[in-house]
Amino acid sequence: MRGLAVALLVLVALAGCAPAEPAPPPPSFNGADVMFLQMSLDYIRQGEQVVAPAGRRATDPRVRALATELGDQWRSEAVTMQRWLTGWQQPPSADPAAGAHAGHGDPHSLRPADIAELEAARGADFDRTAVSLLLGHLHNCVEVARMEAAGGQYPPARALAGTMTARRQAQIQRLLTLAA
Amino acid sequence: MRRKVTLPLLTVATVGASLFVAVAPASAHGYISSPPSRQANCARGAVANCGDIVYEPQSVEAPKGSTQCNGGGSRFAVLNDNSRNWPAASVGSSVTFNWVLTARHATSTWEYFIGGTKLATFNDGGAQPGATKSHTVSMGGFTGRQTVLARWNIADTVNAFYSCVDVNIGGGGTTPPPTTPPPTTPPPTTPPPTQPTTPPTTQPPAGGTWRAGTAYVPGNVVTYGGASYSCRQAHTALVGWEPPNVPALWSRI
Repeated sequence: MRGLAVALLVLVALAGCAPAEPAPPPPSFNGADVMFLQMSLDYIRQGEQVVAPAGRRATDPRVRALATELGDQWRSEAVTMQRWLTGWQQPPSADPAAGAHAGHGDPHSLRPADIAELEAARGADFDRTAVSLLLGHLHNCVEVARMEAAGGQYPPARALAGTMTARRQAQIQRLLTLAA
Repeated sequence: MRRKVTLPLLTVATVGASLFVAVAPASAHGYISSPPSRQANCARGAVANCGDIVYEPQSVEAPKGSTQCNGGGSRFAVLNDNSRNWPAASVGSSVTFNWVLTARHATSTWEYFIGGTKLATFNDGGAQPGATKSHTVSMGGFTGRQTVLARWNIADTVNAFYSCVDVNIGGGGTTPPPTTPPPTTPPPTTPPPTQPTTPPTTQPPAGGTWRAGTAYVPGNVVTYGGASYSCRQAHTALVGWEPPNVPALWSRI
């Protein structure tokens, strides 16, 4: 009896909003897509605090070159990411107080103290600190990108995640050669 | 307004949390990058066919107390495979191990072993690591080819992170060249100076001409461009890191 009533209600509801108009298409993106973009943008913002000084101050020209290359690549990726999030009417950051969790909470972040250590380092210490911070940072970026490749829905975002993983893996290889 | 913002965020957070459980490791923390650990050699392409470890060398997490390179269990078992011909870094009697950290969790101790012998323990007393983490460890009289097992014991979980580093102790100059080509290097603006035609009259320890790819430790003395330099910090030499260029690594004597 109760089931019948529910069924009737559903029918009424369906009839009320189905005047021959097709149902809206299912959303082309899912939560993983949004989180991937938001977290990647956060990582790019954090990483810029390393590549900016590293591009200027590293002793080893290869570290300077890689830092500059990372900065350029991230800026171009960020434009695409922001465009998609805007199109989906999603906030650009998962954190309502953007940047707040860089200082505490999420340990998978570059903390202000880490940036301060980098800025205080000199000579070979500076290079070593920059390489170490960039390696950890890129590993975290790869984790988020692989999560998107496994669980995202929006094909261009999945493709971007694949490209990001390949690029960052190659950069990690270069950094590991410098670290060794 | 508040509700509008919160609801999608919650949805995203929930989806994200479940994905992390399904796809990503519970948490990823760190590994030894130099001298290169086994997972670092996988990640930098020096050893092929390592599986997923190439994407997450930082994720070798397992309950504390294991003496295996993968921390026990079946995940990343490639790290235990001694038939893999792991490159061994040439090192002196003490070695500086540098960690890459992807999450800086509260730490109880860092431990280093060769075989069943504990070489060193560093007690952080629950502190969080800083931007970088390095330990200089005496090889305790071991010589020749050895595998150093490092354990990073997390203070607030039952787990540790494992990293095995293959070294050749006292085996100066036998480092296999990296199988990956070095990254593109802008050519030096000046050609390297010519080598001295006469060797110095006294042969300093671990002497010889400075050479890229060699692991140097404090106390090593090399010649480069007709001058002698003493190593100030353990490192593996790279093109571009010639002694006159890196006073932090070499002091002229």
